[in-house]
Amino acid sequence: MSEITLVIDGVECKGSQGDTILQVARANDVYIPTLCFMDGLTPIGSCRMCVVEAEGSNKLLTACTSPVTEGMKILTKTDRLIQYRRQILELLFAGRNHFCMFCSQSGDCELQRLAIEHGMDSVRYPFLYSDFHNDASDPNIQVDHNRCILCLRCIRVCSEKVGAHTLDLEKRGWGTTVTADLGQQLGKSETCVTCGACAQVCPTGTITLRDFVYRGRRTDCDSQVETLCPLCPVGCKIKAYVRTGSVVRVEGLSTASADGGQLCSKGRWWLPSSTERERLAVPMIREGSSFREASWDEALSLVAEKMTPALESGKAGALISEISTDEELAVMSSFFRDTMKMDKVDGFYGNQLRGFVEGFKPFARQGVRPFTGAHHILESDAILVLDADPQEEAPVVASYIRVSTIIGRAKLVNVSSGKNPFEGITDADLRVSGKEMKALLVALREGGAGGAVPENVKGALEILKGAKKPIVVLGSNLAKTPELVTEALNLAVACGAPFDDGLAVVPMFLASNSLGALNTVTGGKDWLSEGDLDFLYVHSTGMVDEDTHSLNAMTRARFVVVQTPFMVHPLVQMADVLLPVPAWFERSGHYCTLEGDRRKMNVVVPPQGNLKGLGVIMKELAAKLGRTLQEASTAPCENVYVAKAAPDKAQIVTTKEVR
Amino acid sequence: MAKPKVASVWLEACAGCHMSFLDIDERIVDLIGKVDFTATPITDFKEIPEVEVGVIEGALGNEEELHIAKELRSKCKILIAWGDCAVFGGINCMRNFMPAEKVLEEGYVHTATTVNPDGVIPCDEVPALLPQAIPVDRAVKVDVYVPGCPPEADVIYYVFSEILEGRIPTVPTDVMRYD
Repeated sequence: MSEITLVIDGVECKGSQGDTILQVARANDVYIPTLCFMDGLTPIGSCRMCVVEAEGSNKLLTACTSPVTEGMKILTKTDRLIQYRRQILELLFAGRNHFCMFCSQSGDCELQRLAIEHGMDSVRYPFLYSDFHNDASDPNIQVDHNRCILCLRCIRVCSEKVGAHTLDLEKRGWGTTVTADLGQQLGKSETCVTCGACAQVCPTGTITLRDFVYRGRRTDCDSQVETLCPLCPVGCKIKAYVRTGSVVRVEGLSTASADGGQLCSKGRWWLPSSTERERLAVPMIREGSSFREASWDEALSLVAEKMTPALESGKAGALISEISTDEELAVMSSFFRDTMKMDKVDGFYGNQLRGFVEGFKPFARQGVRPFTGAHHILESDAILVLDADPQEEAPVVASYIRVSTIIGRAKLVNVSSGKNPFEGITDADLRVSGKEMKALLVALREGGAGGAVPENVKGALEILKGAKKPIVVLGSNLAKTPELVTEALNLAVACGAPFDDGLAVVPMFLASNSLGALNTVTGGKDWLSEGDLDFLYVHSTGMVDEDTHSLNAMTRARFVVVQTPFMVHPLVQMADVLLPVPAWFERSGHYCTLEGDRRKMNVVVPPQGNLKGLGVIMKELAAKLGRTLQEASTAPCENVYVAKAAPDKAQIVTTKEVR
Repeated sequence: MAKPKVASVWLEACAGCHMSFLDIDERIVDLIGKVDFTATPITDFKEIPEVEVGVIEGALGNEEELHIAKELRSKCKILIAWGDCAVFGGINCMRNFMPAEKVLEEGYVHTATTVNPDGVIPCDEVPALLPQAIPVDRAVKVDVYVPGCPPEADVIYYVFSEILEGRIPTVPTDVMRYD
């Protein structure tokens, strides 16, 4: 990239070929007002706020779309420009309903901020009072078209980052409005994934989220904490807004980041409502069909009393949520495994994880990291989705797949036993039963060398053959058959090694810190269905519903201790003793994410009342049992599947017959 | 020289701007020493006298308000539009999205708490509605705009102080607000 020197407002600035005036100005701390521009989204220069003067040019240039050229002399703050900008703002205010006094976004609004910044103390143009509709059809997202300035940020984020492309424009001129699907109300849209990204980027009060409005402006909040969303293994970085002890709003960090600053429908709605959920505040002991409050001393003594005989008879088990942080998992592992010498320890997703681990094993032995950062999907040119439903399993991965396919023009091959989760954008769609899956994977790997290839497979084969950066998305369902996981990895090996960090595979782990769990609490086998227990210790984060397999085991166990921050049902009904723990927003620690990095979770709202941290509880319980809690000895999650060999060194392995 | 005279009127608005003016607190004593408040919503002047500074709070929604605005304009040298209603039209503009007849019908016949079986809409006793509620500057020339709902007391005080110094002020951007 050749360097370009230009002068902005009399200051010499350096930029590179291809940079826009706005990019160079920002890099050199020159402020140019913008409205439709947003980092990471395609600049369209539609609002004209960023107009600048260039010496020798009669027309004004939009800084966000005009590339810099050598020797350019740019002025950004002349009286003429400031008058034009104010004029644009007045026209926007005159066009639709921009009366701030009855708008939920007043104070957070970028249009308002710019108008004030430009000293707009009156509007010289006639107000149009045009009556657009207010689309309240969606239960979560409200769209008041009367407040829209047609900046198209929502449309761009929806298509470029979420890949849903639900939103677009309809009609022309004055009557132009944002619409969903083909002129549908948002609530009736078939493509909307209800992620709320449109509201996050909306500069005015047009698209708002019912859960967030009137709970506090961003500027009114007591604190804004950067943390991660612990609901799924993608671990999106988020900013949580706190007001009077409540999480009132969560937002993705930046549209310029790999994930596009998006959140999914899980994180967007679940997280801000969590501070309002019913908490378990003090230890409780079952008394008939209900519970009575107890002191920590009494509750832990009872737990110890019931645990001791069960330990002796080998009928004590522990189920630990994999949504816990690395540090918490280490404490639990050190308590149950190292201190209490229990072997019946597992996570809620143990079976699924064991399936993946078993399938990864041959490649782990070769020292190859068997998966890659999920955002690499955005760089790939062919995506093979194997029995996965990412929109359910990890919705942001589904966004990556859609964006890569629609924007990046990657080819999409879906192989599944059921419905195609990417209906309409797949280039090849293969419907196979579990038994046929292995043969198909082998056929795809061998490129038809092993014999005649069925007609419908040919298309998929062509796509994989022609791809330079193919990537495989493994559904959680596949983990039921480890041989298929291995075969899928074999296929990835055969397709080459386009990414440096590991094989081009994205496994749909279901729990957010699955990698941390592998090192700590995940057991060697499924003991849960093996026989009834006398004692079962359950550590839940209360964030995800427990599966029936685990709940059944709890029903059968004689004595159940449930550790949970929230009064979640049916989990709490299973308990004989309930122990409170801090909720996600009161904890800090690390998660190893599908994106391939170890991310930090921070305390958003400090814990209050009688809460004790997990480390303290387990230490006190150990003391009741006459033991001392061992120091946590497990390695952090990033050491699981650490790459010792480059992915291009991976060898194809042979697998057993799939029954 | 005699103290400059000020007159203020409360048109289609909630009186919040005048309340906000009273929030200048003890500074009002100082201000009264420098200016004469004549006709205001809190004094009992039947006629607006000739004044140096006229202040309008509120939008113009009916014939009477339009008349008062024109009268005040003709009797003052500097006219200030106080608050969002006077500057932009404010909350009164919510009715501009439908015809004035519909507004009257809604207000006098259809609202849940109204008992008006004959559907009588007052027309002789009250001033006629304008087709739309309009900002003051749509009817008369405005010299100083003070947006805000309401404008803060400090801003109101600043505007008076500047006028007393012989300047025509604009509200500085760091204290301007629309809500």
